[in-house]
Amino acid sequence: MSMGKLFERCSVLENEAVAQDVYSITLTSPMVAAALEPGQFVHLHLNNNDSEILRLPFSVYDVVPELGAIVILYQVLGNGTRHMTRLQMGDICDVIGPIGRGWFPPKNCSRALLVGGGLGTAPLYLLAKQLKDQGAIVDVVMGAGCSSRVICRDTMAAFDSLHIATDDGSEGFKGFCTSLSKDLLALNDYDYVATCGPEPMQRIVAAQCKDAGVPCQVSMERLMACGVGACLSCVLKTTAGLKRCCVDGPVFDAMEVIWDAK
Amino acid sequence: MPSRIDLAVNLGGLAMANPVTVCSGTFASGREYSDFYNLSLLGAVTTKGVSLEPWAGNATPRIAETASGMLNSIGLQNPGVEVFCSKDLPWLSQQGVPIIVNVSGHSVDEYRAVVERLEREPSVGAYEINISCPNVDHGGMTIGTDPVLAAQVTAACRQATKRPLIVKLTPNVTSVASIAQAVEAEGADAISLINTVLGMSIDAKRRKPRLARVVGGLSGPAIKPIALRMVWEVHKAVQVPILGMGGIMTGEDAVEFMLAGATAIAVGTASFVNPVAPIQVLAGIIGYCEEQGVTDINELIGGLVC
Repeated sequence: MSMGKLFERCSVLENEAVAQDVYSITLTSPMVAAALEPGQFVHLHLNNNDSEILRLPFSVYDVVPELGAIVILYQVLGNGTRHMTRLQMGDICDVIGPIGRGWFPPKNCSRALLVGGGLGTAPLYLLAKQLKDQGAIVDVVMGAGCSSRVICRDTMAAFDSLHIATDDGSEGFKGFCTSLSKDLLALNDYDYVATCGPEPMQRIVAAQCKDAGVPCQVSMERLMACGVGACLSCVLKTTAGLKRCCVDGPVFDAMEVIWDAK
Repeated sequence: MPSRIDLAVNLGGLAMANPVTVCSGTFASGREYSDFYNLSLLGAVTTKGVSLEPWAGNATPRIAETASGMLNSIGLQNPGVEVFCSKDLPWLSQQGVPIIVNVSGHSVDEYRAVVERLEREPSVGAYEINISCPNVDHGGMTIGTDPVLAAQVTAACRQATKRPLIVKLTPNVTSVASIAQAVEAEGADAISLINTVLGMSIDAKRRKPRLARVVGGLSGPAIKPIALRMVWEVHKAVQVPILGMGGIMTGEDAVEFMLAGATAIAVGTASFVNPVAPIQVLAGIIGYCEEQGVTDINELIGGLVC
């Protein structure tokens, strides 16, 4: 929020499958890469076709400072992301970023629990690195439908503990990642929890943290058009009224969120 | 590149240095786009709709992407005219660009009350009276589809101000020309059109509408042919100038609107695709004029050869 959003042309360095229906794309975007903070996102224009004109918002998984590049993990969900899988080295797109308020962990955080569901794991990686650099113990919980959909297995293993849950039990704990987060919250003293993933999952993690008396931050998503705070498409109900996921979030204090009744 | 082309236009008393403004509701009060360019490059900024009291807008999802466009059902969420005057207008009035304030209401009295409040603000250059939003249950399009109500709102606002009064019309009518004539007769200085086209989108697998409000307003390139046709019809039916909009993405799109009869044009959904779209549209207009040997932009207005 403190600094302005940048708008820059970027080119594809690498684009490859990393899990079932999940790809990793690396884009040169030196200004955005230099300015981005963990949890902020970018709004990409793919020059796809004349029929699908809107930009696509993506969280940033990693930055590569020596290349001035950002790395995005994306799931193939529609025509736009299907088209994205066909981009090759040297292809051009443009990016608005960094957008929004990222994670804002407490200063001197001593032990943090990061809970990612599906692609929601991606925006937790830069946070994990930041917390680790600041001397915190970092425990990571990740959930996925099955083993072939687990992402970030290798990179997240670099932290203090990694706990994986799959719905079908093909890797790690059989069940939801919220069972693992519940156990860890009972076992360890945390002073910070960050979660990103499907909204019902984040809601459960937020409730667990409330019970445990641990501050929790969530990363919220709503369909958005402009991505810069102007169109009011992506509003979220909060205790302080409607807020825009794009620029007032995407990261919110979990206590502030009024969850949908559905 | 110093332009030798005279780009200035007069929109019903509002002097604009060039014919490009933005569509209400796509640009908030401009601050969000000031990261990308200097707003003084625009002919005017048109604000998000402002109502007498705060409006919460509709439930989410509020948008759905459709072929060459998008549906929205934002519902005129805004903090009300007092907050607008204390928070948004002071900033915008420092940007060196004429300000068109879009005015929303549930009733004739509410529209008039908003204008009366804004009369105390010297930085307001013109009003755009929104009788065309399809996303509210009272006011908006319910007024703009009825020539009698449209005339009443126009007359009430006319009594409240001597500033340029633009009335924004909906395409969701059989005869847009007759609505235009009704508001012109009550003192509208200009007419803007089109607002969004009522539409819907369905998720077949879930058997559910994609918008929480079920229906919403279609914008983007998909509606450009409708908008051009309506600008052309209204240009033939009234004397007052027209602010044309609907799916403008390029300078050539903008020129087409001017040839159909628009004095000025507004860029809306294109800003979502490309945050500098309004400036690229302006550059495209200048490029067209250079290529075609046009020295005064006003030559283009209604210049269609049929």
